[in-house]
Amino acid sequence: MSSNFFDFIDFQLILESIPDMLKGIGLTLELLFLSGILGLALAIVLLLMRISGRWYLAAPTMVYIYIFRGTPILVQIFIIYHGLPQLDFVRESIFWPIFKEPYGCAIVALTLNTGAYVSEILRGGVLGVSRGLKEAGAALGLSIRHRFIYITAPIAIRLCLPAYSNDVISLMKSTALVSTITLLDMMGIARTIVAETYAPYEVFISLMVIYLILTWMMQRTFGWAEKRMSRHVRSEA
Amino acid sequence: MEAVTGWWDDFFWGSLVVVGVFIVALTMTVLFGLIGAAAKLSKSRTAQRIAAAYTIVFRGTPEILVLLLFYFGSAIALTAIAQVFDPEVKFVDIPPFWAGSLAIALIVGSYATETFRGAFLGVDPGQVEAARALGLSNLKTFLYVRIPAMWRLALPPFGNHMLSLVKDTALISIIGLEETLFVAEQAIGTTGKPFIMFIVVGAIYLGFSTIITLSVMVLERYANRHLEVAR
Repeated sequence: MSSNFFDFIDFQLILESIPDMLKGIGLTLELLFLSGILGLALAIVLLLMRISGRWYLAAPTMVYIYIFRGTPILVQIFIIYHGLPQLDFVRESIFWPIFKEPYGCAIVALTLNTGAYVSEILRGGVLGVSRGLKEAGAALGLSIRHRFIYITAPIAIRLCLPAYSNDVISLMKSTALVSTITLLDMMGIARTIVAETYAPYEVFISLMVIYLILTWMMQRTFGWAEKRMSRHVRSEA
Repeated sequence: MEAVTGWWDDFFWGSLVVVGVFIVALTMTVLFGLIGAAAKLSKSRTAQRIAAAYTIVFRGTPEILVLLLFYFGSAIALTAIAQVFDPEVKFVDIPPFWAGSLAIALIVGSYATETFRGAFLGVDPGQVEAARALGLSNLKTFLYVRIPAMWRLALPPFGNHMLSLVKDTALISIIGLEETLFVAEQAIGTTGKPFIMFIVVGAIYLGFSTIITLSVMVLERYANRHLEVAR
């Protein structure tokens, strides 16, 4: 056996595998953006139901959040991809084209999962808005709806941005799980390469670096947004 | 539902594996978190940098990637070492239980590092000074003043880390750990009923999450018992 440590590392393979894995970055980002936006929309609906003050709207939301935050996302993906097609009414419904494809299942699973987490984050932001401001809005004669849109929402968005950025990063990490339902995102391609070459160090560590760069870029973007949104309160902080 | 009959005992043993992973990984998580926080708060530049690299890498990469790297990486290294002694050996691996527990403990430990760091910074400096004035050694200050004050602050986020830990256990089925998700896949192989089997797995994990959430609530009340009157 060679004494040179560098003989163990196949640099050629690293150089060849990185462009291959980057072919999957489109799918990774697509899953991130699509389920991120759909998940945010779902989260807003859930939030409005949760804070509506009507039990028949709030209770189902709480059950939904409890279930989706209490089970592993891998199990959720498997239920949707492997489990639902077994049910007749799913196969006969108009949504069958979505559940037929692993891509559709991945989007649905990631959206449902992130929606539960994000709605809790948004709720934290809404609860963090000080009462005095809302009362001031009421004193000015703003309706409940106007108070929510013009006073609560802008402040709540600023308050929950740090937690939201963490959740977007976890969503990106969760997209790697779609490799378990045959999709070829970056992780799926990396697993294929490792199965062929049996070189986990070279391939997986290169992929780690790619994910770290993505994480770093997202943190920078959100950091910039946070700074911009709190520019009028900087002296306070 | 009748499809699940005959598999309950397998699901039970799978659940015990989840509990085992949880206990082992939780111990390691606390350890990594404390070491990481100590390194981040230490005066040594090198220790700070190592801890910073640790948290950046393990918080910024997908769990499944870390897991596969650990499992296949260690298998390659071990096989290479084993072949030095016995060229006949084809494949040696760390059992999925240990490779998986270590991987998820390192991941959650990187989150715990930040939690513990924040909690240590949240300890009232006056209490630490008082301990100094009483002549307590650094170790005693750490054990009797800092830790009791800090775990109260760390508990709510640490509860979330425990939930991530138990949910990440499902991932270890990918490298062959025989926990409930793995059991379900075997059951599906024989019965051909994926929906109900995966629902059972989901219900089991939901049960674990509920137990953890409730335990954290009880612990929080215990940790803050001396503040009850003030509230």
